[in-house]
Amino acid sequence: MKRILVIDDAATVRMYHSGILESAGYATEEAWNGIEALEKALLEPFDLYLVDVNMPKLNGYGFLRELRQQEIPQAPAIIVSTEAADHDELQAFRAGANGYLIKPVSPLQLLTHVRLMLGEAQQ
Amino acid sequence: MGLVKRKAIQPAEAAKPKQEQSCMGLAACLEDADPRTRRHAARDMLHSPHAVGVLASRLNREPDTAVREVILTTLVRLNDPSAAGRMADCLRSEDAALRNEVIEAIGLLACDVSDVLRSLLADPDPDIRIFAVNILDSRRQPDVESWLIEVIERDAHLNVCATAVDVLCEAGSEAAVDPLLRLKDRFRSEAFIQFAANRALKRIRGA
Amino acid sequence: MRASPPPSEPVPAITGEDFLKFKEFFYRKTGINFESAKRYFVDKRLVERIEATRTGDFRGYFTLLRFQDSGEELQQLTNLMTVNETYFLREEYQFRCLVDSILPEIVQRRTGSHPIRIWCIPSSSGEEPYSVAMYLMEMWSGISDWDVEIISSDIDTSILRRARAARYSIRSVQHVPALWLEKYFKGVANEYQLCDDLRQAVEFTRVNLSEPADTFRYRNFDVIFCRNLLIYFDDVSRKTAAETFYEALNPGGYICLGHSESMSRISPLFKVCKFPEAIVYRKGLEAR
Repeated sequence: MKRILVIDDAATVRMYHSGILESAGYATEEAWNGIEALEKALLEPFDLYLVDVNMPKLNGYGFLRELRQQEIPQAPAIIVSTEAADHDELQAFRAGANGYLIKPVSPLQLLTHVRLMLGEAQQ
Repeated sequence: MGLVKRKAIQPAEAAKPKQEQSCMGLAACLEDADPRTRRHAARDMLHSPHAVGVLASRLNREPDTAVREVILTTLVRLNDPSAAGRMADCLRSEDAALRNEVIEAIGLLACDVSDVLRSLLADPDPDIRIFAVNILDSRRQPDVESWLIEVIERDAHLNVCATAVDVLCEAGSEAAVDPLLRLKDRFRSEAFIQFAANRALKRIRGA
Repeated sequence: MRASPPPSEPVPAITGEDFLKFKEFFYRKTGINFESAKRYFVDKRLVERIEATRTGDFRGYFTLLRFQDSGEELQQLTNLMTVNETYFLREEYQFRCLVDSILPEIVQRRTGSHPIRIWCIPSSSGEEPYSVAMYLMEMWSGISDWDVEIISSDIDTSILRRARAARYSIRSVQHVPALWLEKYFKGVANEYQLCDDLRQAVEFTRVNLSEPADTFRYRNFDVIFCRNLLIYFDDVSRKTAAETFYEALNPGGYICLGHSESMSRISPLFKVCKFPEAIVYRKGLEAR
């Protein structure tokens, strides 16, 4: 079963995304910010990271930059942001993201992107 | 070799806080090329009551996280209401780290920041309004709920309302129930708002 | 007529939703996640605090917890929710990490032969710094090549006196291997007296971590142990402490927190570092 780390400081958002992913058969874990996410990824790397941008202490871009420097198995990361401007998407990819979604994310959007990133055939 | 004990703390090694230094001297140190000098200057400005302006203006230009952290700690400890507005200016920065550091710091200020919050919540940029809700989340003031209720009653933007609803899961009471139901009605086709509002209602009603 | 006893107060009930609300709040603030298996443990302590604060019910208590200016009740509750016992070799995996991973890294990067400096704060009654000393003597091959200074600090002068005296109960030494117990302790009445060699290996100092006038002298440390202290601090004091530790550490220096603590709730200043034995945190190699 593929493991996905859902990273967001808002509990509601974490629960919402986890719920969608678990219904589709993925195993999920949650993290409140980039530091907690790094700690979890270092303990046991994930198959995919769903990353909010604005979080206390270590934001999504900072998390990705750190993650990409670690000598652990790397995995795709999707940034989930409220910001829609072009330069934000660029910043995301520069930090090491593979995908970029704007909140609110529909279940179909989320699952489509996740399956794409994981190289799974579309349902 | 082995475990040794000597007079552990050597006074000569350390840089004594420059409490006696004037604010002008410290302000210059705040622009020094060495981040350690800048950190010490930011720390030592705690005893300079007119330092708010100097510290706040450096904040936007300071590239080093550790220096920024000390600048913000000093601003929080100085507890001057004028600092909140200056710090809030940083919310428009492209630097996500700076934005989030400032959100936390304004949240920690003990003084009244209502004026700044009001202004942020009325900002045309929905992301700024979201940051205002994030700040509210960090505040311990007892009227946080009424501010949040006003957001979900008035704000047109879905993400701003969604952020406020998440905070209401923890900070909400009976007073938030009707506004939440009205919000659900307003965003009838938005799955995330339905989910978020239902969660908040569950938490508030306790069943 | 006999007077009837006063009716006892009803015990406040903690519903499933109350537990979830509390669990989410506590996780947000501390990073500690209570699974539903811990219901009894959590409920019991919540009830205790509801009664102590006279807030009447969970709702009233939670309002206090969430909105109290000083944050004192949260600190009080956190104290109750976490295990605070101190004893020799507590969280031993971190001492293993020190000798097997941290010190080898530090030594490898070293230029010069100045002493390796370790700061243990809070000292409490001394079990932790003495554990570090013992572990270095027994488990670190490098102890014969390097000078090590151990400084240990606390805000409470009476506990510092106890630490210097170094006399311990059987409970405190229960995890000390028999060989070490024999080598480093002497039985006195029904207690254990630490030998002078180790007592003299640790410098105890009084420090208020929130007071810059106290802390600015603490510099050039390679390792800091700050276990089970910051979790009890309010937000501003915690931030200040993290900045003090950053100042106190050499570039590439390490800091170890308690097993249920995380920098995720404390500060962005340190890099997360995974060793086989533990997750610890490090000041940047390029930092000043």
